[in-house]
Amino acid sequence: MTTTSPQATRKYDLGFARWVYENVDGGDRLALCMQCGTCSGSCPVGTQMDYGPRKLFMMIRAGMKDAVLSSNTLWNCVSCYNCVVRCPRQVPVTYILHDLAVVAVREGYKEAVESDNARFSAAFNFSAERYGRTDERIVTGKFYFSEGLSAGFKKGMDNMKIAWNMVKTKRMPLGLPHKIKGKGELKTILDKAREIEERHKGGGKGN
Amino acid sequence: MSDQQPRSQTILVVGGGISGVTAALEAAEAGYETVLLEAGPSLGGRVAQLNRYFPKLCHPTCGLEINYQRIRKNPRVKVFTMAQVDGVSGERGNYSVTVKTSPRYVNANCTACGACAEASETKVADPFDYGLGETTAAHLPHEMAFPMRYVIDPSVIGTPEAQKIKDACKYDAIDLEETEQTFDLQVGAIVWATGWRPYDPANLTNYNHASLPDVVNNVEMERLAAHDGPTGGRITRPSDGTEAKRVAMIQCAGSRDLNHLPYCSRICCLASMKHAAYVREQYADAQVDIYYIDIRAHDKLEAFYNKLKVDPQVSWIKSKPSAIEAGPDGRPVVKGENTITREIYAAPYDLVVLATGMEPSVAGEHLPVNTGQDEYSFVVPAQPAEEGVAAAGVASGPLDVSMSTQSATAAALKAIQAVAGPAR
Repeated sequence: MTTTSPQATRKYDLGFARWVYENVDGGDRLALCMQCGTCSGSCPVGTQMDYGPRKLFMMIRAGMKDAVLSSNTLWNCVSCYNCVVRCPRQVPVTYILHDLAVVAVREGYKEAVESDNARFSAAFNFSAERYGRTDERIVTGKFYFSEGLSAGFKKGMDNMKIAWNMVKTKRMPLGLPHKIKGKGELKTILDKAREIEERHKGGGKGN
Repeated sequence: MSDQQPRSQTILVVGGGISGVTAALEAAEAGYETVLLEAGPSLGGRVAQLNRYFPKLCHPTCGLEINYQRIRKNPRVKVFTMAQVDGVSGERGNYSVTVKTSPRYVNANCTACGACAEASETKVADPFDYGLGETTAAHLPHEMAFPMRYVIDPSVIGTPEAQKIKDACKYDAIDLEETEQTFDLQVGAIVWATGWRPYDPANLTNYNHASLPDVVNNVEMERLAAHDGPTGGRITRPSDGTEAKRVAMIQCAGSRDLNHLPYCSRICCLASMKHAAYVREQYADAQVDIYYIDIRAHDKLEAFYNKLKVDPQVSWIKSKPSAIEAGPDGRPVVKGENTITREIYAAPYDLVVLATGMEPSVAGEHLPVNTGQDEYSFVVPAQPAEEGVAAAGVASGPLDVSMSTQSATAAALKAIQAVAGPAR
């Protein structure tokens, strides 16, 4: 087992599919998919997805690694779990899509790294790690400026009215960001999570 | 020592559907005394409720009539209707079976003249039509009933109407004092043939069978198409009685689904194709869409599939629909993803038929006989093997009619071997 998922080297190469079965959260049940289409048909944002879960799963089996990991299907999932409760083979579709998104960012796929969701996640983590809380100003600021200086400035100005209304209704403070009390304990938790992640990369299920 | 005890060679068959009737007849015609128990008021079971059945698309009266003739001509078969097994003790060659009978309120004097039904005013949901239609409290179970004898619904017993029904009978056939009774039987072997029931479509919440009247299941579709059904055989929309010309068949409604029945029920693909043929026969301009995961038309029945495939007014859509919802005009709308074109569809229909699968009638129950049951409650041989008990028909697994009769014949032979074979 390797850190990076394998590329297909020939037709009908099952290498990538097997890697997904073994390394992606819920991947072990993916092998049971019978391509019935319940997931894509149940999806409230199915028309906004380039492939939808069913086709994406077939592409995994076909070894189409690059197309899978640069797909917007990974990012447009809204975690409604309609597909998960209806799947006749109990494939945890939502978990698989979310974990594939993590793989896509880790392996540096442009569509993934530059996606709104990936940049938002980074901004969320930035605030959560430092303060143990998500401070709206830090998360939005970090997210807006991740697109570049001028884009960030423009987005910030566009949302100024909303920001002021939040301040007025005491939904957003003006002083320094609030910190949680047990920051040391949070650090221990996050360090442990990183350690598990490293073990996961090194091979084997990291738990 | 069991070989020192007196041994019975009588064979008890539990369940009077096509499998039970077949098993009882095969054993009787081989020279063994048989007792056939049926919980309902008539033999025939689910087969009697079909419009037509495979492989030759005969009306069920055909096959059942032949079997009823065989029963009438064979003094070795004793039939008890309204009778269920309450308890079993003993072993091969020496079972003691407690049988419980429910009151029919009509005795053997009945000539099926129908005077009691004319005197009956209360309407009850007709179980023979799966509740799609109504019948009078005093009624014939169905027009091919065996025994050809009326039955009175317990809901009117003790009312003035019951007395009116009794007074209408010229043959002293009505006994309003009849009560539940039990009796014991000594038998040497037992054939368990309690059959199946349609999987409850209420569990398929995203298909809205309960709230949308024009969403029916496949057994209800048989009644809609049957000449003795609630519509007189015209396939119409239950909501307003208009012709159902745009019809969808939904395969694997609850079957092959780990949230419902994990197994393939085996009969539903062909049943839906048969339903498509019913619709196409009635309406020249009908359009039928069959939604499927994959078509399972086994062995000789593939010919029927191939015949239907060339009909341009029958479409095959490879998709398991995700939902059936009410459209703006109240018609059911089938939603999902076409897995060939990847198109997300929402198609309105006059009528949607859910191909619900088969679950054992005894699902979730512990059987009174010493036999095994698999995780879905189908009857399998006991471990260690109990030679005196055999399962026949759908009680043993999902089967169509012809496979059920084969299974019943095999079970009859096992029962004969159990009673005629050497003692242990």
